Amino acid sequence: MKKGYTYTIIFMAVVSIIFTGLLAGVNAAYKKKITKNEETAMKASILASVGINTDGVDVNGVFNDKATEEKLNEVTYYSIMMNSDKTVYAIPFEGAGLWGTIRGFVGVSTDYSSIVGLAFTDQNETPGLGGRIDEDWYKEQFRGASLETVIEYGNDSGLDAITGATSTSNAVLKILNGLMDTTLQELEEADEK
Amino acid sequence: MKNDLRTVFYRNLWRENPVIRQILGICSALAVTNRLENSLVMGLGLMFVTAFSSFTLSALRNLIPDRIRMIVQTLVIAAYVIIVDIFIKANMPEISTALGPYVGLIITNCIIMGRAEAFARKNTPVISFFDGLFAGIGYTIILLCIALIREILGFGTVFGFNVNFLNFTNWTIMVVPPGAFFMIAIIIWIASGITNRGLKKKESKKEGAI
Repeated sequence: MKKGYTYTIIFMAVVSIIFTGLLAGVNAAYKKKITKNEETAMKASILASVGINTDGVDVNGVFNDKATEEKLNEVTYYSIMMNSDKTVYAIPFEGAGLWGTIRGFVGVSTDYSSIVGLAFTDQNETPGLGGRIDEDWYKEQFRGASLETVIEYGNDSGLDAITGATSTSNAVLKILNGLMDTTLQELEEADEK
Repeated sequence: MKNDLRTVFYRNLWRENPVIRQILGICSALAVTNRLENSLVMGLGLMFVTAFSSFTLSALRNLIPDRIRMIVQTLVIAAYVIIVDIFIKANMPEISTALGPYVGLIITNCIIMGRAEAFARKNTPVISFFDGLFAGIGYTIILLCIALIREILGFGTVFGFNVNFLNFTNWTIMVVPPGAFFMIAIIIWIASGITNRGLKKKESKKEGAI
């Protein structure tokens, strides 16, 4: 249908306003819920990184009960009370994977000598290959790994890499070993002071 | 061309099925079909968007100036897609992470634009709504077929339930997108085979009559 320029412009403006308004409304209605979901997902990862089961429990409640946020320089980490006399830290990490950035939390003992658990919040590795770093068997094997020396795969450490996902497997170690030299070192020095 | 509900249904689900006949929407069909759950959510999202965008565009068809119709189509489609995206993020956060950017990419799914251009532009809102809905169903059914085989062979599960009774080793190739290439090709092959056989039968009957 042929229509004049004025009509075309006015029509486009009206349609744009209606649909943008609609979207703004939907967005506003759901914004709170989405932010809450994201927060809950992060809290669940933090708890999972220190080995607390998060399936079917009130994540927010448990988190508020046990975790305290702490800060050193730029790093926000969490100290989590496992029971009355044991505390562990959940420390965020971030680094390059094969396809994108891998983010997550690693649970470490308060003397920074060993890992108590591992959880990923963000990874875009190949599904079925590198993506398997998010499977429990892979994360579980890091529990108890020593932080005194460089972490490596092999019989000595008892850590298995993922078959067919060498790059991703190595990326995880590189991130963790890098963390030992940077954040963990800083934290340890700060504690000594 | 007749455009009653039955023709529209048959056309979108079989004769002109978007995925296996028109080879549209292949990008998402390769990406999200490694698990049935993801495919189902993607399919439902697409059904919602095609149905409502076709309805809206058909209702506006006499008002939309021809020279900017594609801009309007994109705008309407994008609005519905973003609504779906926000809805999934708010109510199904885990599936939202699994689908990644593909929900947003429904906007670029040719099926929707195709239905808007080919059908909604010339037909009344109600039948356009069903045309869009059936096109979405046609897409979903194919996705579910692919996902069923990929999930069984790749993960040994159906909708997350373990069905790997024989204890076979999972096929990694079924989890990564190339697995979907094979499955789509096989399904297209079967569908074309059925159609061709039907045609041959008709031809041989004609010859027999002569």
